Amino acid sequence: MRLIFKNLNVLRSTINAIGMSFEIQEIVESAGTNLPNLFDFSSFGVLWKEGPTLYLYQEESCPPSFTEEVAKNMISVLTILGEESVDVNQLNLQVEKRRLKPKQILMDPQATLKSHLTLPLAAEGEISGCISLNSDQPNAFDAQDLQFFSVIGYQMAATLKHFQRFSSIKNIAIYDTLTNLYNRRYFEERLGVEVKKAFHSGSFLSLVMLDIDHFKKVNDTLGHPVGDQVLCEIGSLLKKSVRKKDTVARYGGEEFILILPDANLDASFMIAERIRRSVEKTSFEGGQAQINLTVSIGISNVPTHRARSKEELVKMADLALYEAKGGGRNRVCVFDSTQRRTE
Amino acid sequence: MEEKVDVVSVAKEDKKEKWSADLVLDLYSNLLVEIWEIVSALLGESILELIFALAIKKLGDKYPFLALMKVSEEGISLDALKEHCRNMAPIEIHRGFQGLINHLFHLFSALAEGVISRELFPKVLPKVREAERIISQK
Repeated sequence: MRLIFKNLNVLRSTINAIGMSFEIQEIVESAGTNLPNLFDFSSFGVLWKEGPTLYLYQEESCPPSFTEEVAKNMISVLTILGEESVDVNQLNLQVEKRRLKPKQILMDPQATLKSHLTLPLAAEGEISGCISLNSDQPNAFDAQDLQFFSVIGYQMAATLKHFQRFSSIKNIAIYDTLTNLYNRRYFEERLGVEVKKAFHSGSFLSLVMLDIDHFKKVNDTLGHPVGDQVLCEIGSLLKKSVRKKDTVARYGGEEFILILPDANLDASFMIAERIRRSVEKTSFEGGQAQINLTVSIGISNVPTHRARSKEELVKMADLALYEAKGGGRNRVCVFDSTQRRTE
Repeated sequence: MEEKVDVVSVAKEDKKEKWSADLVLDLYSNLLVEIWEIVSALLGESILELIFALAIKKLGDKYPFLALMKVSEEGISLDALKEHCRNMAPIEIHRGFQGLINHLFHLFSALAEGVISRELFPKVLPKVREAERIISQK
């Protein structure tokens, strides 16, 4: 009886740990850390259909042949459960090796999979993968193990479902639905963080504001679907033109904005020029016609322009963009402090 | 007179067949409820619902009457199926259910090897034999 209570307590803390995790790897880690207190096993696996990825938490001395057998078995169970078969060679394998057996006992290098419990990760009738406890010993698991493992599986499936929902809500909240770039709301948030960082560390930060010249004409003459397509194409062109750490967002309408951390004026001017030239060179698809477009770009920079807030930095980039438009379009203008005086 | 005897014997035969259809239906219905109770305690209702749905889908083409079984997290209901099958040949009902149970066992073994079967066999096997006995008596 005492043993059952002990096991129930371990089960409870395992479930709590899973429920409090924030990403799949963390779930596997929390489960893996707690499971040895409940079961004797050589390998614990989570096969996640998306990817597809197999997370394995297993005995340090587990031979590669055993790992492969576990992977094949999990794929086979998923297939039996009516899911599309996964090629074991295409599986993204993430293995976490731990000491699960007593110190003097190592797994036989020829060890094979002798017993397993494999359960679907199912929530709301949808299978998102499976979890598996595996052993190199025959009949390693009994009915109580299955009961406990199914409870753990339930919690994992529910938490993972929650993640999926959360990430789709998060996507809606931060991405522009048309261009798939970040939206303005996310941009404001990100800029706040980057400006603070730049103010504190004294590092450079550039803001690049971009507007498509005469875009209204595209919408008016070729229709909004073509206009939307152009916006998407320019969006992906922008994404290709910047560094990994940069943020590209749709600011509104045909306006885009880029946050370039650690970029001084020269570097940001170079990036902006590159963008301007590649838009100029690109022929955009406009149904039966090819469209040639240009963009006007304004740049502001911390600390060069002595902006005191993120709002001021945006205003400076906007003024520079206004200058580029006024100067004949298809050009890059850097904020000029004399513009501030005319404000 | 001979004709009259024939009609009576056909009627008797019909009654006997209907009687065994009801019997087989009741037997399998109790058996499936029992399987549900035992396995849901091991796997949980939502996984078991999924497994039942898979098994029914797998055998649906061969035994369409199985699709009338209602499976949810609350359990299984065979009311509509029973109503539909009352006029079916008992052997057909038996084969359908036997196929379903075999496939369920196959799925249980894929998931947990012998763990579920070990719990089920002592209760399920005598009832399957009982159904076979009823069918063979006919």
